[in-house]
Amino acid sequence: MRIEEHPILTFERGKELTFYLDGEEMKGYEGETIQAAIHANKVKLLGYSSELKRPRGFYCAIGNCSSCMMTVDGVANVKTCTTLLKEGMRVETQKDKGVLR
Amino acid sequence: MKNRADYVIIGGGVSGCSIAYNLAKNGAKNIVVIEKKYICGGSTGACGAGVRMQWGTEMNCKLSKFSIDYYENAAQALDYADGIEFKQKGYLLIAATNSEFDQFKKNVVVQKACGIPSRIVSKEEAKELAPHLNTDMIVGGAFCEKDGFLNPFKTTDAFYRAAKRLGVEFYPYTQVTGITVENGRIKGVDTTQGYIECPVVVNCAGGFSADIAKMAGVTIPVKRERHQILVTEPVTPVQPAMIMGFKLNIYIQQSLHGSFIMGRNNLNEATDGRVTSTWQFLDEMSKTVDTLLPLISKLRVIRQWAGLYAMTPNRQPIYDKAQEVEGMYLACGFSGHGFMFGPVTGVAMADMILGLTPTIDVAPLGLSQFSDKSTLVIEPAVV
Repeated sequence: MRIEEHPILTFERGKELTFYLDGEEMKGYEGETIQAAIHANKVKLLGYSSELKRPRGFYCAIGNCSSCMMTVDGVANVKTCTTLLKEGMRVETQKDKGVLR
Repeated sequence: MKNRADYVIIGGGVSGCSIAYNLAKNGAKNIVVIEKKYICGGSTGACGAGVRMQWGTEMNCKLSKFSIDYYENAAQALDYADGIEFKQKGYLLIAATNSEFDQFKKNVVVQKACGIPSRIVSKEEAKELAPHLNTDMIVGGAFCEKDGFLNPFKTTDAFYRAAKRLGVEFYPYTQVTGITVENGRIKGVDTTQGYIECPVVVNCAGGFSADIAKMAGVTIPVKRERHQILVTEPVTPVQPAMIMGFKLNIYIQQSLHGSFIMGRNNLNEATDGRVTSTWQFLDEMSKTVDTLLPLISKLRVIRQWAGLYAMTPNRQPIYDKAQEVEGMYLACGFSGHGFMFGPVTGVAMADMILGLTPTIDVAPLGLSQFSDKSTLVIEPAVV
C-alpha cells in the first residue's frame, strides 16, 4: 500500500527501481527505504526471531528496534527501514542471526 | 539480620560464594556473606567470562587447572540444573613480536610441567584456528584447547544456591562500614544493616579489598584499576576460540549468543573505583579490531561496561591471613582473574580457615610472596 493522496503532504517519487526479495523481482521508487518498498509490495514477514524463531515484521520504522534486519547484497543485519533502496538490490530474509562476510 | 556469626565473608562475587559454599560443605556453621550490591553485582558480573590455563607462573597454572577441571563438572557437583554454559573452545594467544613469542615458548614449558595441554602454534596454524585473523600482525602464537568460557552469572548463582542450601545466609545491598578489632583480634563487622559480632572475616571484596583491610588496620598490596569491555551485535558463530594478545592489547571472544565481547587495558585507567565507560576505550578498541580482525569491525557495538581489576605487584592472587590482626583472611588481588580461579579460591580458603589438610598447596601465595622484590615472580600473561 502506498499513500497516493494526502491532505497536507505531497509525494514526489523518484524513478522506478527494480530490486529482488529472496530472488523475486519487485518494484520500488528511488528515495524510499528498502522497507517502504517491501511493505508496498505487501510483504509483511521480514525474518524470524533468533531464539524462538517467531515471525518478525515491520515495527519501529526509525532504526531502533532491529525487527526489520535483513541481508542486503550479502551484508547481514541491515536495518532496512533506514536504508535507501538502490537499483538491483538483492534483499534476503534472515532465518538466524546473520552471517558475517 | 543475624547479630552474631562464626564467619563473615565480605563480597558476594564468585570468590565469596565459592568460599561460603566450601566452608559450609566442610561442616562450618553460622556463615554469612555480605554484598554491597547484588550477588555477582561487582567484578565477577563485569568480567569477560573467559577461563584459561595459559599462564607464565607455575602457581597461576596450577590454580587455573584446578578451577577448569572443577568447572567441567561444576553443574553436577553443585546440583545446578540450569547448567553453567561451560564451553571449551580454546584460547589462541597471539604474539606480536619475537620476544613475546619467546615468552610464550617459556610459558608453555611451565604449563606442560603442570599437565596443561597447551602448545606453540605457527602463524599458519593460527590462521587455521582463526581464519579472519590478520596474521601479518603476528609472528606466532600458543593454543590450549581446554581453555574456554562460561557464564559468570550462572556459575556464581550455582555456588550461591548450593551455599544457601547448606545454611549460608546472604545479605545483599549491605555495605560494610567498619570492622571492630580488640586486642589484635577481629570482634565484629559494622554494616549498613547492623552490627555482626564475629571472630573471622574473609575479605574477598575485589576492587575494594584494600579498603576493607584498612578498616581493620591491615595493609595489603592490592591496587584497583578499571578495565573496560564492549559487546557487539550477535552473528552466526565464526570464532570458536578466544583470541588474546598482550602486546597487541586485546582479548576477544564470540559468546554462545553470537555477540563478540572484547576488552583491553590502559595504563591510565581510573583507580578510584568507578566503573563508568569512556569513548577513549571505544576508540582504541575499534582501532585494534579494525586492523587485527577487520571482519569483526563491521559489527555494531551494542554497549560498553567496566569492572575492577584488583592488581597485586606480581599479578598473582593473595590467599593468606592478615599479619596485623587475628581473624582476617584474605582472598583478593586476583589481578583480573578472580572468576577463573573461583573454584580453587573456595577450596583453598576453606582448607586454610578450617585448618584442614590443604587440597592444593597455596602457601606460595601468602603475603610473604611480596616481601622480597628481587625474588618476585611476575605473571607475564595479563591483559
